[in-house]
Amino acid sequence: MSVRRTGPLSLLYAFMDATRWRPSMQETAPRRERPIGLYVLETGGCEGCFMEIESLNGSAFALEQAGFVCVNDPADADWLLLTGAVTRVCAEMVDRVWRAMPPGRCLIAVGACAVDGGPFPAGYATLGGLQALTPVRRSIAGCPPSPEDLLRALQELAQG
Amino acid sequence: MRSAVSGLASGDGVAAMRSMGRIIRSGERVALSHYHLDPAQWSEMLTVPGTTLPLISCWADDARAYVLLLEGDCPLLASTIVEDRRYLAPSSRFAGAEWGERVSYDLYGVEAMDARGNGAPALDEGGWTSTWPLSSRPGPAAGGLRPLAGSHLLRPEQTGLSGPLEFSFEVLKGKIRDVEVCAGAAHRGLIARLAGKTPEEAMSLVSRVTAGGFVAHPLAFARAVAQARGLVPGPGIRDVWMILLEIERISIHLFDMARTARGVDAELLATHCDHAREAIARACAEQGVSRRLMDMVTCDGFRDGLEIVPLAQAVHAAMQPRLAALEELHRVFAPRLDGFATLDARLAERFAVGGVTGRSSGRSMDMRRREAGMRLEALRATGSSQGDARAREGLRLAEIRDSLALMERILGSIGLEDDEPAPDRTEEGIGVAEGGRGDVWYWVRLKEGQIESLHVRDPGVSLLPVLGAMLRGYAVDRVPAALGSIGLSPAGIAL
Ligand code: SF4
Repeated sequence: MSVRRTGPLSLLYAFMDATRWRPSMQETAPRRERPIGLYVLETGGCEGCFMEIESLNGSAFALEQAGFVCVNDPADADWLLLTGAVTRVCAEMVDRVWRAMPPGRCLIAVGACAVDGGPFPAGYATLGGLQALTPVRRSIAGCPPSPEDLLRALQELAQG
Repeated sequence: MRSAVSGLASGDGVAAMRSMGRIIRSGERVALSHYHLDPAQWSEMLTVPGTTLPLISCWADDARAYVLLLEGDCPLLASTIVEDRRYLAPSSRFAGAEWGERVSYDLYGVEAMDARGNGAPALDEGGWTSTWPLSSRPGPAAGGLRPLAGSHLLRPEQTGLSGPLEFSFEVLKGKIRDVEVCAGAAHRGLIARLAGKTPEEAMSLVSRVTAGGFVAHPLAFARAVAQARGLVPGPGIRDVWMILLEIERISIHLFDMARTARGVDAELLATHCDHAREAIARACAEQGVSRRLMDMVTCDGFRDGLEIVPLAQAVHAAMQPRLAALEELHRVFAPRLDGFATLDARLAERFAVGGVTGRSSGRSMDMRRREAGMRLEALRATGSSQGDARAREGLRLAEIRDSLALMERILGSIGLEDDEPAPDRTEEGIGVAEGGRGDVWYWVRLKEGQIESLHVRDPGVSLLPVLGAMLRGYAVDRVPAALGSIGLSPAGIAL
């Protein structure tokens, strides 16, 4: 039987729940001088991959404890996480964001669309994934990958 | 299928409404709800005095122009011939038709005469391999991107949305006066990809139209295909579809609530939404289905091996104990959303805005209410008529409670209702599903078992004409928070 927590103490319970749920890394978090900055860019998929990254960046997962931080400005980013099939209109946006990132930047295709278009191969409006613009060296498979899959893959990529 | 006409107008409004409906029905009936009008009838429909039937969608291709309307709670589709690439603009009568006219011009090069608005591109920003790519006579590529007009731009990556949508604003003294939207960056050419496929082949792509409707889009499509084939899914299938849709509704509402909460720094509420949504995804995965219910709906039912009863029970058990805390946190943080990004009730009515945004502005439209076998007693949330972000957030919570109640009711009598009579097979069908973000519509015409023609209307489209009014008076940097509270999918809008 669940206890119905209402009344003046309910906020305290809500806060305690949030603290109790705070995700922790099972393995030891990697030692880095600073977290790896992730900039996420959707380029014309179904938004499923983008939303899974947003979930990973939410409170239910330990993205920051794992040594990553999502940033809002490409100038603060180390890695560009690209989702979606890369529409022809978006190519210019990808280029603009990539150029705004500092040296040492790294490009990661997230999801089937971003690698080769996935369900949306090249057409009059789409390029068919990142591979049309550049060789794809780093990618995370899935349609969409779950937040756990994403986190695991990011950690593997960080370990080289 | 029931045909109750209710609730939209009364008195002389009903008389006028009937007269627009009567003009449409004076045309040649070619499918259950579709009438071919000659140019004179089309013109009469657009000019008849009196109340205007609510417009769900407008589109045109090389051959015909279409308006999908609601009469009571039933769809009514009218179409007319496109001659010399031109047709009389539905926007001359239906204010919300402008977007569809612009899309049709971009895709087919067919022109709406006497159209409202400035005719700016809706999708074609100049980057495609041809102009009018779906036309039988496409033009050469434009040869480069065209910049959007407007004094301020919000680039596609700056909107806070899940996909690329480009906004340009007229700004005066730091405040938004008007908004123009271009969805070209998110356009994937979905119609071209689906044409010529069998419905079964098309389903995997329809399942990836937008993550805001992994269930709602395939379900609306499956219903349209069933109607085209003269079939009615049995009550067992119908109930499974309803439960899947409710699970998706809970998940999408939680996603949009978390985004809205973060937009006003209500991190504790967002945290609870995140955990509840993740608990639902895990419950789905533990029951052997995909976390977000992708690929569950098929044209004639649902994926083999789906065990709906334990799935519904697991989701219910994951969500129910979390509701009280969410409601309490909403009460605490709701004042931050007071009066924010308000949609006026008259505009919601005029542009037939559905979903949470429409219902929290006083519109009663919920397409679930017209479904055969719906346990209506579970749908209690009425929303308020405030139309602001607070009303939307409150309604999402109330609808989550309703979804759980609806799942309980369905589980209590699953598959027990009577079958509906099947419509005649006409190779044409209209399907609707009330998804988490509103009413998703599909119209499909089959030929020799393949999709000859198709139209998709995501609920985000009905929001485009009212965005200007909702954002007017705010600084551009408040736009992402406002958009988050509305729940827009660029992928669904652009297709
Ligand atoms: S890979 Fe799949 S989930 Fe990701 S954006 Fe593409 S279609 Fe959507």
